[in-house]
Amino acid sequence: MAMDWEQLEVNPRIISAAKKANLKAARDILSLSGADLQRLTRLSLCDVQILQTAVAAVYRKAPLITALQLYQGGCPTLEPGHRLSLGCPVLDGLLRGGVPLSGITELAGESGVGKTQIGLQLCLSVQFPQEHGGLGAGAVYICTEDTFPIKRLRQLITQQARLRPELPAELVHSIRFSDNVYIEHTADLAALQACVSQRLPILLSRGLVRLVVLDSVAALFRCEFQADETMERARHLLALASSLQSLSHSFQTPVLCINQVTDIVGSDPARCSYGLVDARVLPALGMVWANQVLVRLMLQRLEGQSEAAGYGGVPRKLEVVFAPHLPRASCLCSVSEEGVKGLQSPEPSHPQALELGVQ
Amino acid sequence: MQRALSSFSFAPAVKVRLINAGFHSAADLSDFRPAQLSKEAGISQEEAEDVLQAVQSEPSQGRAVASRLTALDLLEREQALGSIVTFCSDLDCVLGGGVPVGKTMEICGAPGVGKTQLCIQLAVDVQIPVCFGGLGGQAVYIDTEGGFFVQRAADLAQAAVDHCSLLAEDAEQREALKEFTVETILSNLFLFRCHDYVELLAEIYLLPNFLAQHPEVRLVVIDSIASPFRRDFEDLFERTRLLSGLALRLFKMAVQHSTAVVLTNQMTTKIVNGQSKLVPALGESWGHAAAQRLILHWEGQQRLASLCKSPTYKEATVPYQITGDGFRDVARPCLPGPSSDPPASALGNARKRPRLEEDVRETSLRSTPEPVLSAASSFHTTVLSWSRTGGSRRGHFLCCSSRQTVGETQGDHE
Repeated sequence: MAMDWEQLEVNPRIISAAKKANLKAARDILSLSGADLQRLTRLSLCDVQILQTAVAAVYRKAPLITALQLYQGGCPTLEPGHRLSLGCPVLDGLLRGGVPLSGITELAGESGVGKTQIGLQLCLSVQFPQEHGGLGAGAVYICTEDTFPIKRLRQLITQQARLRPELPAELVHSIRFSDNVYIEHTADLAALQACVSQRLPILLSRGLVRLVVLDSVAALFRCEFQADETMERARHLLALASSLQSLSHSFQTPVLCINQVTDIVGSDPARCSYGLVDARVLPALGMVWANQVLVRLMLQRLEGQSEAAGYGGVPRKLEVVFAPHLPRASCLCSVSEEGVKGLQSPEPSHPQALELGVQ
Repeated sequence: MQRALSSFSFAPAVKVRLINAGFHSAADLSDFRPAQLSKEAGISQEEAEDVLQAVQSEPSQGRAVASRLTALDLLEREQALGSIVTFCSDLDCVLGGGVPVGKTMEICGAPGVGKTQLCIQLAVDVQIPVCFGGLGGQAVYIDTEGGFFVQRAADLAQAAVDHCSLLAEDAEQREALKEFTVETILSNLFLFRCHDYVELLAEIYLLPNFLAQHPEVRLVVIDSIASPFRRDFEDLFERTRLLSGLALRLFKMAVQHSTAVVLTNQMTTKIVNGQSKLVPALGESWGHAAAQRLILHWEGQQRLASLCKSPTYKEATVPYQITGDGFRDVARPCLPGPSSDPPASALGNARKRPRLEEDVRETSLRSTPEPVLSAASSFHTTVLSWSRTGGSRRGHFLCCSSRQTVGETQGDHE
């Protein structure tokens, strides 16, 4: 960002010294140390401090707010309070309303457990108007590991009225769901990066889309890098996460990243189990990715329980592994013809959470 | 006035001119007027004015005054600053009463282990009124990860208010409670959001002014320092330079404005001798940045907090938990028999009993926690039993938040 010298409220003498020193961007002025800046501009330390503070004041975009202003909904762009509904009151209850609008939400699970089902369901629920838990816009579905399950999407669309009986039928029928799901197939990392850095910003800035589903984030990273390329992999992973985060923040668009899982083999001191002691698998991509995730969910198949009939058969468990605003909790859900539905009110899965009566 | 002119923060060209003209120490300039000096040293009138002003205001700039402080003064000053309780009494003990004001502390941990929860908890706890043993301050929260959910802050604020209303007994405290509501707690929590490292740097440049305008701020949280500096950085030398500059600024801010500065950091995998292990991110040199370093980690289902670096207190590991109400002690199973209903005498002891570090270590390192009535009884049980026996409600806060001098502690112990 080039510096707009007009905006600076400092002595013109300081500005001309900074211009003379060939300082153009606010970034340069802010990241140089006081001594370096003094040497470059030949100003006194006091002047340099005035310059840096003035540049910082111009550079700062976000105004100061108090948590109370956020709480009372005074800053809808910063804390909308609104969440993207999953289309099921039980699952929304588990997530305190749904998926947060800003930040990366990860859904990890074994293959065939129903991750894609939740992704598809969100692509439909985002199209409902805000008062019904949606965002009144379409979705982008980025497939990296398989072709887009178009048949299943059609089935879900026809069953939408059954999944959401609480909504007026004419509303459900009036939305042309399949027109608003943009599908992108990216078979390699370069294509994914191009999609995220070029095509997504266009769709988002036109307001056509308010949800990004990446299914899955692990596939490309797991196959394109050798075991000895961990540094390189981490760098690409961070770059991807960073661009997804900045898109999510600037357009208030939830990003759902579907992730694979990895088996727990042996004991590794560097592995973080997130307090999941009885888990056989952990989300893939390690600590580098986990640090970038705001909300981590895990979907597991409950073995040995098969009384639930219908599409999915065995009931699943959707668990909040971590989230800054959610307790560690889980709920049972079933995958049926009309979609993924929670079976009962969320119950704490953590013995410590039990005594508190997590709502 | 014997200070050498070369040690002043003038522009280099001015310094050279002054020294060439034969001025070496501040005393040499004492009788000069700007016009005279400008002529003598060949500098502009404006520069001469700046120089004289700087030289004349020098003694009040603190260098000379600060050097006259004795260690006792420093100790008293540090105790007067107090510390912020964490609501986990085990951790408070390890930290000597809580997170110290006027110092920097780094909290490291894997995602989801509770770094943000502890930060929000501190931002609420720093506001506990003085008559309850708190600091009655305000908090600045710089969120770089988008992890601050006001919903959650409101939960913790409500729990803190409920907690204090259980403790309130005299008129002063009841009066203070009228002011201590979720609304006021949230309105005293100033939030900044930064999305990249330049925005964070800008915020840090502006913060001293903000703190000067808001003298009640006792806590500055940066959650997290790692995320903006771990993305978009190709040049690691540049990163190290920026981070160490930042650390210095934060340290200066903590001392000058008497605030606690709490930074969170992520963990990263490092391979040492073919063995991979989890270490705090941002490299070795960043390890020197904060005065204290607390690592939060998992062991099975148990969350543990380890104090790894501290100039004042011993290394120790204590368990904690994150509940709906926030950052809390692990509830310990009650012993059957007399200790299930703690008698008043035991509570009296609990208040009097000094929190020696040996005690902390002993109780904290036990893998299966046993009920230790004095130091380790859970926050909730303590509160409830106190309100039942009608003892001093300040007990918990006092014994956790006031740092006794060594002499006092030992006297009490005998």
